[in-house]
Amino acid sequence: MATTEKTATVAVKPGEERLVSIEVVYRGIFQKTLAQRICRGVVLASRRRNYTGTAFARYGDSPERNGVPAKQFAVVAPTDLELEAGMAKYEPAVVDVSVAVDDTLVKGIESWAWYGRQPIWKPVRDNGFVLVTSNSTPDELVQQTDKAERPYTLAVVPGGASFAGLWVYKDDHTDYRVLGALARLLPDWLPIEDVKASIRESTKDEARVVSVQFGYDNVRTREVKKGEGTDAHEKLQFEKPGWTKMREGIIVEARKPGERNPFYKKYTARTLRPVVNFDTCIKCTMCWLDCPDECFEVTPSGHYEVVYEACIGCGICAQVCPVKDCIVMVDELKFTDNTDKFVLYDKQPDAYRQWFTEMTGLPAIGSDKPAATGGD
Amino acid sequence: MAVAATPNATLPQIKGVKDVPYDELFVSGHRTCQGCESALVMRHMIKAAGPRTIVLGSTGCMYVANTTYYTTPWVVPWMHTQLGAAGSAALGTSAGLKVLMRKGKLPNEKINVIAFCGDGGGADMGLGAISATLTHKEYNSLILLYDNESYANTDIQLSSMTPYGAITTFSPTGKAKRLMHTRWKKNVPGMLAAGHPESRYIAAACAGYAVDLMNKIRRALEVGGPTFIHTIDPCPKGWDYHPQYSQELGHLAVETGIWPLYEVFDNKLNLTGPTRQIAEGRKKRKPVVEYLKRQGRFAHFTDEDVDHFQGEVDKMWEKWLIPGVIPFTIAEKDRALLRVDTTPLHEVKKPA
Amino acid sequence: MATIIEKGQDAVSSQIEVEALVTGCEAIAEAIRLADVDVMAAYPIRPYDGVMQAAAKLIADGKMDVEYIVADGEHSQFEIVKHACAVGARVFVGSSGVGWFYAMEAIAVTGGLRLPVVAICGNRALDDPGAFGTEHNDSLAVRDLGWLMPWAETAQESLDLALMAWRVGEDKRVSLPVAIGLDGAFLTHSQTIVKIPTQDAVNKFLPKYDLGNRLLHPDNPITIAPQVDQDWLMEIRRQNDAAMRRAQDVIREAHADFKRLFGRGGDNPFLDEYMTDDAEYVFFGQGTLALPMKVAIRRLRAQGHKVGLVRLKWFRPFPTADIVKSLLRFKAIGVIDRDYSFGSPNYGGVLYHEVRSALYSQPKRPVVLSFIAGLGGREIDQNMATQIFEKTKQAAEKGSLDQGDTCTWIGVRE
Repeated sequence: MATTEKTATVAVKPGEERLVSIEVVYRGIFQKTLAQRICRGVVLASRRRNYTGTAFARYGDSPERNGVPAKQFAVVAPTDLELEAGMAKYEPAVVDVSVAVDDTLVKGIESWAWYGRQPIWKPVRDNGFVLVTSNSTPDELVQQTDKAERPYTLAVVPGGASFAGLWVYKDDHTDYRVLGALARLLPDWLPIEDVKASIRESTKDEARVVSVQFGYDNVRTREVKKGEGTDAHEKLQFEKPGWTKMREGIIVEARKPGERNPFYKKYTARTLRPVVNFDTCIKCTMCWLDCPDECFEVTPSGHYEVVYEACIGCGICAQVCPVKDCIVMVDELKFTDNTDKFVLYDKQPDAYRQWFTEMTGLPAIGSDKPAATGGD
Repeated sequence: MAVAATPNATLPQIKGVKDVPYDELFVSGHRTCQGCESALVMRHMIKAAGPRTIVLGSTGCMYVANTTYYTTPWVVPWMHTQLGAAGSAALGTSAGLKVLMRKGKLPNEKINVIAFCGDGGGADMGLGAISATLTHKEYNSLILLYDNESYANTDIQLSSMTPYGAITTFSPTGKAKRLMHTRWKKNVPGMLAAGHPESRYIAAACAGYAVDLMNKIRRALEVGGPTFIHTIDPCPKGWDYHPQYSQELGHLAVETGIWPLYEVFDNKLNLTGPTRQIAEGRKKRKPVVEYLKRQGRFAHFTDEDVDHFQGEVDKMWEKWLIPGVIPFTIAEKDRALLRVDTTPLHEVKKPA
Repeated sequence: MATIIEKGQDAVSSQIEVEALVTGCEAIAEAIRLADVDVMAAYPIRPYDGVMQAAAKLIADGKMDVEYIVADGEHSQFEIVKHACAVGARVFVGSSGVGWFYAMEAIAVTGGLRLPVVAICGNRALDDPGAFGTEHNDSLAVRDLGWLMPWAETAQESLDLALMAWRVGEDKRVSLPVAIGLDGAFLTHSQTIVKIPTQDAVNKFLPKYDLGNRLLHPDNPITIAPQVDQDWLMEIRRQNDAAMRRAQDVIREAHADFKRLFGRGGDNPFLDEYMTDDAEYVFFGQGTLALPMKVAIRRLRAQGHKVGLVRLKWFRPFPTADIVKSLLRFKAIGVIDRDYSFGSPNYGGVLYHEVRSALYSQPKRPVVLSFIAGLGGREIDQNMATQIFEKTKQAAEKGSLDQGDTCTWIGVRE
């Protein structure tokens, strides 16, 4: 028997396979189940008209780390033959849509297993889509995306980031809203009726179908031209040497005392960042002591400042700080850089206090006192 | 750049948080989770041990997440060892240094050797090798078991350290079986202390009590010979809680009496921190439900499950020969055989 | 006649080469002493552990200064020496049969780490059923893991190859572990006269172990073996490949030095040829099976048959060029495997596949036959040798083999 079936399938010319690739960029663990449900939802909805597909997670992102960006994918094709062009890969080289299920991801992403920070649009094709779940507007979000190297459409489906733990899924319909939004962006691939029918059949719950329709109806788009976006994010790129240049014996140089890891900075894992009220700080050292990422550094005045390049945003410092509102966790989207702030406090305390209030919405207690300076 | 050798270096006990060494020997840019308590254990471990230390890391989170090729967060020399090989790595490294110094092939100095392993590597696969190493009293090394209560690097699978009833990917909850995992957690430090009379230092610790942990590490390295420390490390990923609560979960593990803090120094038990206060009756044990309800891995627990858990912990405190350490007891008629030091606990002097 | 001494007794301080009546294991123990090994780890299993027993006695008698660690299992044994090796200690370890397999994880990583651990595998059949005679499948299981693999024929060669092992393995151009194959019983447990070189001569041959900037020490802070992904592993494997390729020249160099200093070792470091000058067909194998085959060759030669033997001394790196050059001179090669590869092409032995593969790209190839003999330590006797000979001769005369007739089990009851 022939191993290749001769069927009515249209012969596919090499390089002309019809495929649609969607990636879901998400916060490791917190949104693992969500990303899985979106990717599976895409493939299963495509089955309504006998298309086929594959859903998979980026193998290298596993084991996922809490908060650290990770990716899952859905690739759909009309035929098995065409799908082969999207199989046996860790990730599609080019995607039609990149979905960011937490809007702080638009500042760029670095998975724990990669080298270098990637703009959120990096694998998106010319005139493809970046779809973000956010309560911000596309205009606001584009301020935080890396300067576009090619045009794309930024789409926003309303909603905050849906975070959950590994075992207990937060069933807030984010997945259905995203599927609805995807149907809007890719009508040729994911007709809204197919998505609704698929969800109706699998969940037997009309409320979920309503959420699909909501996502479809409420997605807002904005074209992003080449060159739009910000230059402020650090360019973190890494050239991999070849075998003749690598040290033999699987050896890498140790870090120097006082140095931080220059090749992996981890801050793209952050959704919130700690902001310190240096006026109320009692210099108890607890934030420094209990930080699992070594991100606090002592200042000459005995304060502890956050090195934002190293901070992963876990919030332990705010939790262990004995002074109320001395360390406040603030939405990462509010910040445009990773500059350490103690210098500002030291040189222009009032400006710092104003900034503190602006960021935290809290009064900077002690603003009438002079800033502590070296030697305290 | 290496730090100069100091042949007679000693590691004095740390007096308080202000006395904790400032320099980082495990630096930022490791690829661990938000709120990773095990990363904090690494940080404290090497802070306490200092720069003239060789660290051997067996496979697990603290290998894979920390040391991703071409980068490393370690300032000190560090080498990978296999999942079940923490004991052997410590032994081989220590023996190598010892003989080379004796033969004059390496300058004579005190170099600390620490091998760490997770609960899978230490309490499951590598327990035999650790046990062997603890009998080789001529070789100085510390084995540190960081226990996040699952194979957390591979996807949160069940280990012999996973607590009763907890969800892991190998023990999910389902319609037919609410609890897939009904084994009680192994008592590793107690077992090792009971079984290795020539190991001079075995302790249970928690990074939520940083100074206590660092002092235990220093004491283990100072007394010499093979030593062992077991830390309980809240894991926001596998335990399913918000990463900001890692410290609090560690405190709760101790305050509920689930994880007693102690050290066995030259065959003498010394309870430390809140565990001592509980034992002395100065602090009331918190109900375990306060700990369990904070974690998604126990979200499926019924009242019955909680009661069972509480009952087992109560047994640890009320029935065991030594609360939380030695799980068997002695028949009433044999009470006279017990060589019990009757000094009240609060009068037992802490080892210097 | 050279001075004959009691095992290990006077050799230590001797200024002249002496002789001793020792087993292959005891000969290796002498090599351990001469090499000033720093750390060794022992665990009991027949037949390799005679080395550990002999070494223990040398230590107990104050003949050498080694950290001698009795481990809790083979995995620990190999991990212990691997880590001692990383901090600059010259090490020795060994095992046999299923013990070798129990250590397999540690064996695998040692090759990857490029740490020059020297081990012996006292070849033993694998369980189940439990057996303890010689068979090469234990050693051969590591053939793809980046270990150098010499095979000894005699107790003398055991000692000599052990000294070669540290010299070649520790050479910075190579830096790979070495697993010396020693046939159980015939070699591990049989005493023969062995020349024990002087310490001075060994010192000239064997430089001090120096890991250089790969030493794990606070003065040289490095991280060894961080986790990699698909972005790196091919490059690391390629480095190991280059080291293995370089090993050939390093072995030649060491072999030449060895011959110069000790006057032993034959013409070719990789192959030992016996009565091959005008041979039309040869036997090919490794280890002690060469001994009965040489007896057979003399008998067959007396009957006028042009037969010889090529014995392989280094299975890894496989000396392809030397093999091709040697074997192309013959019409047929009867490869005798003391191992088996179940379900492999033509249902042949491992060595057979290697030889055949080495010859494949030659335009004109001899016929290559596979003989499976002596499994589980069964003796290879003259009847078996005759069977092997007849079949090889037939094939040589015919110039080909029938399909399905490439592999023959010798001396197996029907």
